[in-house]
Amino acid sequence: MPKWAMVIDLDKCTGCGACMAACKMENNIAIVDPEEAEYGRAMFWMDMITEVEGEFPNVRTRRIPKPCFHCDNPPCTKVCPVRATYLNEEGLVAQIYHRCIGCRYCMAACPFTAKVFNWKKPQWLDGEETCINPDVSVRSVGVVEKCSFCAQRLMKVKEEADLEDRPLRDGEYMPACAENCPADAIYLGDLENKDSMAHKLSHSYRAYRVMENLGVEPKVYYLSKRT
Amino acid sequence: MEIKRRDFLRLFGGLSGAVLLGGCGLDEVFDVPEALVAKARNGPGIETWKNTICRLCPGGCGIRVRLIDGTPVYVKGNPNYPVNQGGMCPLGLSALHALYNPDRLKGPVKRTGPPGAGTWEPISWDEALKTITETLVKLRGEGKSHQVAWLGYDERGLMKEHITRFMRAYGSPNYFQFSPTQNDIVPYLLLHGRPQIPAYDFLNAKLVVSFGSNFLEEGYSPIYYTKLYSHHRERETRYIQIETRMSLTAANADRWIPVHPGTYGALALGLAYVLIREELYDSTFVKRQTFGFEDWTDRSGEKHLGFKSIVLGNYYPERVAGITGLSSTTILELGRELGHTRPAVVIGDGGAIDNANGTFSLMAVQSLNALLGNYEQEGGVFFVGDPPFAALPAVVEDSVGKNGNQQIPVAHSLDVTFPVTNFSIESFTQNVLAERPYPIRALFLYKGNPLFQTLNHVDFAKALEMIPLVVSFDSVISETSEYAHLILPDHTFLEQWDEISNVPSVGFTHVGLQQPVIEPLYDTRNTGDVLIDLARRIGGTVAASFPFENYQKVIEHRAAGIFNSGQGAVASEGVKRFWLEYLHQRGWQLGRYASFEEFWGQLREHGGWWNPIRKQKSEREIFQTPSGKFEFYSQKLKSTIDSLVEKMGQKEQPQNLESVLTRLNISARGDSAFLPHHEPVSYEAEMPLHLITFRVLPNPDGQAANLPLMQEMFGYTVRRYWDSWVEIHPETAAEYGISDGAWVRVESSAGSISVRAKLNPGILAYVVAIPFGLGHSSYGRYAKGHGENPYSILRNLYDLLSGKPALEATKVKISLQSKPGV
Amino acid sequence: MRVGSHIDYELDQDAALYRPIYKTGRMYYFAVGSMVAIILWAFYMFFTQVRDGLGVTGMNQPVTWGFYIVNFVFFIGISHAGTLISAILRLSKAEWRRPITRMAEVITAIVLAIGGLHPIIDMGRPDRMLNLVESGRLQSPLLWDITSITAYFTASTVYLYVPMIPDIARLRDRGGKFKWFYAFAAWGWQGTEGQKRVLNRAINILMVMVIPIAVSVHTVISYIFSMTLQPGWHSTIFGPYFVVGAIFSGIAALLIVMIAFRKAYHLEAYLKEIHFQYLGTLLLIMSIIWFYFTFSEHLTGIFGGEPHEMDIIMYKFTGPFATFFWAMVMCNFVIPVLILSFRRFKKISGILIASISVVVGMWLERLNIVVPSLANPRMELPVGIYVPTLVEWSLFAGGVAVFVLGFLLFSKFFPIISIWEIEEGRKEGLKEIEERIHSYLPRTTSPR
Ligand SMILES: Nc1nc2c(c(=O)[nH]1)N[C@H]1C(S)=C(S)[C@@H](COP(=O)(O)OP(=O)(O)OC[C@H]3O[C@@H](n4cnc5c(=O)[nH]c(N)nc54)[C@H](O)[C@@H]3O)O[C@H]1N2
Ligand SMILES: Nc1nc2c(c(=O)[nH]1)N[C@H]1C(S)=C(S)[C@H](COP(=O)(O)OP(=O)(O)OC[C@H]3O[C@@H](n4cnc5c(=O)[nH]c(N)nc54)[C@H](O)[C@@H]3O)O[C@H]1N2
Ligand code: SF4
Ligand code: SF4
Ligand code: SF4
Ligand code: SF4
Ligand code: SF4
Ligand SMILES: [Mo]
Repeated sequence: MPKWAMVIDLDKCTGCGACMAACKMENNIAIVDPEEAEYGRAMFWMDMITEVEGEFPNVRTRRIPKPCFHCDNPPCTKVCPVRATYLNEEGLVAQIYHRCIGCRYCMAACPFTAKVFNWKKPQWLDGEETCINPDVSVRSVGVVEKCSFCAQRLMKVKEEADLEDRPLRDGEYMPACAENCPADAIYLGDLENKDSMAHKLSHSYRAYRVMENLGVEPKVYYLSKRT
Repeated sequence: MEIKRRDFLRLFGGLSGAVLLGGCGLDEVFDVPEALVAKARNGPGIETWKNTICRLCPGGCGIRVRLIDGTPVYVKGNPNYPVNQGGMCPLGLSALHALYNPDRLKGPVKRTGPPGAGTWEPISWDEALKTITETLVKLRGEGKSHQVAWLGYDERGLMKEHITRFMRAYGSPNYFQFSPTQNDIVPYLLLHGRPQIPAYDFLNAKLVVSFGSNFLEEGYSPIYYTKLYSHHRERETRYIQIETRMSLTAANADRWIPVHPGTYGALALGLAYVLIREELYDSTFVKRQTFGFEDWTDRSGEKHLGFKSIVLGNYYPERVAGITGLSSTTILELGRELGHTRPAVVIGDGGAIDNANGTFSLMAVQSLNALLGNYEQEGGVFFVGDPPFAALPAVVEDSVGKNGNQQIPVAHSLDVTFPVTNFSIESFTQNVLAERPYPIRALFLYKGNPLFQTLNHVDFAKALEMIPLVVSFDSVISETSEYAHLILPDHTFLEQWDEISNVPSVGFTHVGLQQPVIEPLYDTRNTGDVLIDLARRIGGTVAASFPFENYQKVIEHRAAGIFNSGQGAVASEGVKRFWLEYLHQRGWQLGRYASFEEFWGQLREHGGWWNPIRKQKSEREIFQTPSGKFEFYSQKLKSTIDSLVEKMGQKEQPQNLESVLTRLNISARGDSAFLPHHEPVSYEAEMPLHLITFRVLPNPDGQAANLPLMQEMFGYTVRRYWDSWVEIHPETAAEYGISDGAWVRVESSAGSISVRAKLNPGILAYVVAIPFGLGHSSYGRYAKGHGENPYSILRNLYDLLSGKPALEATKVKISLQSKPGV
Repeated sequence: MRVGSHIDYELDQDAALYRPIYKTGRMYYFAVGSMVAIILWAFYMFFTQVRDGLGVTGMNQPVTWGFYIVNFVFFIGISHAGTLISAILRLSKAEWRRPITRMAEVITAIVLAIGGLHPIIDMGRPDRMLNLVESGRLQSPLLWDITSITAYFTASTVYLYVPMIPDIARLRDRGGKFKWFYAFAAWGWQGTEGQKRVLNRAINILMVMVIPIAVSVHTVISYIFSMTLQPGWHSTIFGPYFVVGAIFSGIAALLIVMIAFRKAYHLEAYLKEIHFQYLGTLLLIMSIIWFYFTFSEHLTGIFGGEPHEMDIIMYKFTGPFATFFWAMVMCNFVIPVLILSFRRFKKISGILIASISVVVGMWLERLNIVVPSLANPRMELPVGIYVPTLVEWSLFAGGVAVFVLGFLLFSKFFPIISIWEIEEGRKEGLKEIEERIHSYLPRTTSPR
């Protein structure tokens, strides 16, 4: 069984935000009204954290792209009353939009504020309906959503691999954010596969995970010389 | 795909339920857009991919569009296209929002009310073109063809040639582009004698020192640079960013060095001082390939001071420290690091050139590359060769055309200002207003949005109102096209044929093929084709100059040249840089295509052609100056000024020279005036703070403000959405009692705007910065009424040599308007 | 004169307890009317929420919970007054309990129902409520709540009903247009010795049973928070802390209700100064215990000084929530202690003020628990803002209105003071107590 994980190389990442946009487009994520966004209801599965350290002129700004960490010991799934979010056998933390009752307990329980909620009926650019990605189901009002590691793409490459009956190649399963990252800073791969890039990098001396002390075992590794 | 089909079946299972539940919005299916449900009905779609070029900024990235049953549903980077190698920026990713934008014009329209009233009525293409043709033919008949003008934006390559061809054939010298790119060229022109922005071999450099060039965000091709940057991260190349505000590039650099606005040149000369004094410069190159370094005597026996003496005499660290606000140790450190690292390349842009002294400070920056002997060296500066396009048939000119083309272009300044450029939006505006040297009877507005993007909004609007026929090609009505009489909407780039070659500063010859991925959604036309149509309607020599079926055929015609040259290769999986170089060593050519048809087919499939192999240029080729060398002492500038002096009557009168220099805001006298030097910028003393503007990836030039995702992401670095902000240093903010998120009034002598504060320790204490891009009063439902346009409070100042807007020459005062609140 | 009925009860010794049932004043109709109006408005507001989504509230990311969860915890807390208190008093055979127990039990029944509705109000998809049954996960603390609340509700309604049977029988015997109903509800009570024995047995079993359930309920509610890893929530003290808070607010609520009915229905003869004195003392004790818990909770946080923990503490001490936090301390500790520890202030009026202050304070406490932890996310994100909207306020008002209305209706159909227990008190109470006291004392040898 593969265990999918993501590695983000902060030494390469410039903070350009392409991953945020790619995610929005690939996953049919709604764009909320300006006032709503300003009030903290903007929906980004891939978020951007800005950390400013040091005193002028030795200021260091670093930008940290933040998807869902797909924790291996996810506090969010534990609290869900209806199993609308769960950890699947390949290590993805999934959402079942059709079952979610919208209690937002999982959001309250996520230490990394990775989930977003459909506070209103999701809306798209008038007329954009025509360009919605048919591989990704559209969410409805009142349910929670978050980064899925582009699970639909995993399904697709699996199907392709099955047809050619061969195992998946490393890097074949490529989420939208990684695919478009101009710095090639995002890797997604199988931790169980010792030769996978993700496995190698996750064992690099630069690798760290956010708040490891919590023991939630995030499966998103960051690489950085300066932690 | 199976899964999806099941998904949709489930979806329908729910749909019946939705009907029962009626309007109470209780069933998720209720939220599924009709179109998607319709799509679901057809079962899983067939997926296809088409390659083309992104045109949302001049970056020229190759993109790959995913189509389901022919409908574009997703855009990603083309992994095989050499410029971006699969990388994208947020803007490019939202391309579909441009295609499906609800505010697009559905066909040609005619203005019936006053400008800005928004009263438009549909008109047929034929009728519209008739009206225009009548005017053009009439003017031509009266021998007034030169009174027709065309204001373009940033178009390059074929489209630029195409328009030039039309204007020449018709008989008008008045085709201009207002994007600052060609004003950018001036300093390079003075030093190199060639009107080309050089490329930088970042890939092989060990140290990159950038003077204000925010290349990761505002570079000509941000994604190209981002790719290089990320490679560097593996190669441990050092980046030093000299910039007033900590931009994205500065944030990613190994060292950020904040300098006062307008003092970049001084710092560059300070570094030159260290290089010269400590003999860290490339003396062979300087001796052999530069002019005006040592003191020299001209033919008339007159003695001249050289760059060396000027620098050693004036730009010693202590003085430079005083000007730039840095410590002299920092300057020494920098100079030594630059001098001791090889290869080290220096690049200048942004703040270094966006000021009243831009030309001289960029000359100073570029001089460092000369001192380091970087030209045509590994990890240095070089010039990319043009693609081997097939030449187009010559333009046919009749007497009317000839006569028209000989007239003085209307954008040529009629006094001494802007002597080294053929265009400045300012002189254009003023001359149109004054009807000098002649009135403008018809104006074509192509791309861009000058009324929003230029400094002198008020006068420009007046100028537009004076012109009897204004035709725009916008696909969304903008502040500028509000003033047009006719709008002939162009396709969006995903519906359009075009050819994008040699994006400035990209390090290899390349051609991107922009091709339609979908039939035009509306009754729009490619402006290239419209021109051909117009030419035919005008007839005579004008028609004769366009012996093409349509614009696409012109592209094919030029591409044939590439095929015949046998150079380079179509950008496909197999053909990566290393293997091209391998072939090159073997001296082989890449004529791998049996026929042009095959080549063209490949080109269409893969979306581009490139040739990374550069043949070394001789110095004569590199430097096209009078001396054939890199000119520290710009003889072009000297002769230009001399000719201005001559214009003023009795030759070589010292007081004439004096007045010319004064009117060009050049305070330096003697030889310094023609050498790279620091020109102090004259700011308004009574204003306490400097105002600078910057641009963000999601909306570099305000043209993306009608894309909802880009509006939402506009402030993604500061978590602000759909809104502008002003960046203030915490200490400055404290002085004014301003806290993060408070509303702040920013006031200059040109006007005032209110924006919310964003405290940012990454900016100089007495400088405030506002992003450019928002503040539209038109341009569609998503753009209108969000944020503020900082250009509306910038003073109407320019670099009087190059015509480049002095975006960092305005000072302001700020005041707290109201505390932060929801 | 008598309104609506020709039943003669005025001669009865406990006429005052029958009067509210048979005599309806204008004020009564007005009160009912206004409560119904408020409730209807709340319903309309809720409808808009269902129609437009939770966007009509002030919640957002990261403040994903607001008033609804606050009120949920608050109401469930209040509900502890009743059953728990009455059970404890009954168990300890405190004679003065007699006029109090029923009101207490009624509070529980009504408020529990209100509180129990809140998780549903808070759902983004109330239409999917049944998923909790279809695909409920018992591992989720939310499910624990649902279970224990249901259990508590059943137990406490039965516990309210059973001791009411003799009184219902009395009403049945007096006839009137609801005779059929009373006849049905009285279960053929005739007051025979046998029935009495069964009744007392039942009451004893129930009261032993409800106490652990009651304790479990609020413990489990605290688990909703303490089971997460969030700073400010992830605390072992939460179980007892919540229970204490619950009883605290419960007693306060009970006192308010008692004072209200005493005034409205002129029950001075039954609810004497002494009752308030006793309950007042109880309130004082709880206030001190509450402070002890609050103190320990924050001290451990501050002493450990874990950054995220400190963010939240400072947010409450000096940050945006300072007003609410310190107001809470005033209302829950300073005010009640000042009033209740001085004879001079410990009058009914004083106790009323103290109780109101405590109820407000305990609501603030719930607010101080729910919002700050959410508003201060662990990641480097801006501090969240939460501004409740009209909808949330309306539903809050609605909840309170249901509470008042519930009581009004109850007091219209049943005596809000247990008549038979009062009588029992008169008949057997004295004797029994005398015996009990004798039993405490050392045996005295009687003289020849
Ligand atoms: N289940 C199911 N199977 C089907 C069909 C069906 O309806 N249902 N339809 C059948 C039919 S009629 C057809 S025509 C086929 C077509 O279906 P496909 O076999 O998928 O062929 P395409 O959709 O043309 O694209 C194939 C893949 O080529 C890749 N591609 C596209 N352009 C480029 C490029 O420039 N470079 C590279 N490297 N890759 C590129 C994309 O990944 C694309 O998914 O499917 C057949 N199979
Ligand atoms: N994603 C992204 N892409 C970019 C950039 C970016 O920031 N982000 N950078 C852009 C940059 S920096 C450049 S230079 C290139 C080309 O970018 P271009 O599109 O060629 O130029 P822009 O600066 O984008 O836009 C035109 C500008 O003209 C300027 N202008 C105002 N007044 C005058 C005047 O009097 N004369 C002239 N000539 N111009 C005037 C205004 O500042 C306006 O913004 O690539 C652009 N590519
Ligand atoms: S796309 Fe890549 S470089 Fe850009 S922000 Fe995301 S991770 Fe960083
Ligand atoms: S990051 Fe948050 S949402 Fe994602 S798995 Fe971990 S806990 Fe759940
Ligand atoms: S919001 Fe949905 S997914 Fe999250 S816990 Fe509640 S039911 Fe589960
Ligand atoms: S993995 Fe997919 S879903 Fe997750 S952030 Fe990247 S693009 Fe978005
Ligand atoms: S940089 Fe962005 S907008 Fe510009 S061409 Fe590339 S993808 Fe398009
Ligand atoms: Mo630029």
